Amino acid sequence: MSKPTQCSLCEEAATVHLSQVVHGKVTKVHLCEACAQKGGATDPAVFQLADALAATTPAPTLTCPQCGFTDLDFRKRGRLGCPACWETFGEALDGLLVKVQHEPAHVGRAPAGVVPVAQLRRRLDAARLEMTAAVTGEDFEAAARLRDEIAALERQLAS
Amino acid sequence: MSVEDILAAESELTHLLGGQQAVVLSTRIRLARNLEGLPFPGWAKLPQRKETSDRCVTALEGLPKFRRGHVVRMGELGDRDRSVLVERHLVSKELAAGKSGAAVISRDQTVSVMVNEEDHLRIQVVKAGWHLRGTWHIAEQLDDALGGVLKLAFSDRLGYLTACPTNVGTGLRASAMVHLPGLCLAGHMDKVTRALNQDGLAVRGWLGEGTEAAGNVFQISNQQTLGLSEDAILKHLGGWIKHVVEQEWNARRKLAQEEGEKFVDRLARSLGVLRSARLLTSSEAMNMLSHLRLACDMGCLPEERRHLVDRLMIEGQPAHVQARAGQELDSDGRDRRRAAVVREALKDFPEVGPPTA
Repeated sequence: MSKPTQCSLCEEAATVHLSQVVHGKVTKVHLCEACAQKGGATDPAVFQLADALAATTPAPTLTCPQCGFTDLDFRKRGRLGCPACWETFGEALDGLLVKVQHEPAHVGRAPAGVVPVAQLRRRLDAARLEMTAAVTGEDFEAAARLRDEIAALERQLAS
Repeated sequence: MSVEDILAAESELTHLLGGQQAVVLSTRIRLARNLEGLPFPGWAKLPQRKETSDRCVTALEGLPKFRRGHVVRMGELGDRDRSVLVERHLVSKELAAGKSGAAVISRDQTVSVMVNEEDHLRIQVVKAGWHLRGTWHIAEQLDDALGGVLKLAFSDRLGYLTACPTNVGTGLRASAMVHLPGLCLAGHMDKVTRALNQDGLAVRGWLGEGTEAAGNVFQISNQQTLGLSEDAILKHLGGWIKHVVEQEWNARRKLAQEEGEKFVDRLARSLGVLRSARLLTSSEAMNMLSHLRLACDMGCLPEERRHLVDRLMIEGQPAHVQARAGQELDSDGRDRRRAAVVREALKDFPEVGPPTA
């Protein structure tokens, strides 16, 4: 015998089953005797119940268009659904990355044939600042080295 | 049967093909990689996991590194064979627990690529002893080769995209397996662990996450993978390992000096037990083998015997003992068999003498 469906609001076995169709989307609600009484499932206006229920069960606010993974899934599992999720949840994940990682921006290798534009731009900005500082500090050896690096970075970015 | 071939082969870690050293047992590099356009294994449906596995295994088999290597599919292996692979560090516990995982392993067992673990691909390279740069170069070359045949998920801003935010960016986990009996005996291990944790390094037991540090063996690895270059990550780990090795030697010398005969007695007793015991549990064997390794490092036993100790640490684990016996054994049976293997291996071992190192 299959396990009885659990009540959406508590641990009890559900005995009242409601289906609501809004704009072609079906929402199913399963309730136990007690919760159904409390929520007014005996009332003919059961639509309100589904609304009230939607307010108590947190609804996902972000869904990955590629794999259907939601922010709620992430909260449950701590892992993402697919590479495209990084795009979908981008901003939401930045706060976490700041906490667990060194900086929320990649520095390092890229697959063959991929020019890591953002990384090169960041390095270019930093090198320009370093060169200004080197010139001000009259460290012309460092300034010359940085000038060459800046030229090389500009060439790479132009290609 | 591939796992039998793996057991019978002379491998990097069991036969120390790359040479061996005091304190650092092995160096490991792990790179997490994923294919573009496919869900991560933990979220993928069975057909998608199968597609991932087929594409990755085919690509890997075609690489020169895996010529005459091994392909093992978890769904086709029994419990014992999967445990053997875990004990040899060729696959993780997580991979062994699922049915859709696979691993492609190089002939010398230095390189193992796990497919369908938490990420589509986990490249692992291991060398006996401390060889951070050499190990890294092998991983780097393999990564380039893989990137040439598979379209890897990469973002300009976040680097290599992974299932878990703790691996994104470089996807690099560099680690050293270190044997620290000196720091453990001196009671400094908590302090060392805290210092390492505070500077972004993780300390784990010898089978990785959530395992105990049997035999005073620990795995030390970087925690952060994003915002630091591969070179910076390796330098940071390398600096700390050098420091830990120095501290370990200091602790050992201090112990040997302060304890004198008691120090030698402890090591000699362990050899005595290992040579005579009729029943040996896995953790008892590990802890006593740890003393023997210490004795070899300190010159109390000839250094050239150390490789045998390292091999017994691997082959004394439960699944290895059963695989060698060729049958399932209960707990007592394993302990009896383990004791016999160790007794046989150590029967012409010389006596423990005073330290010379």
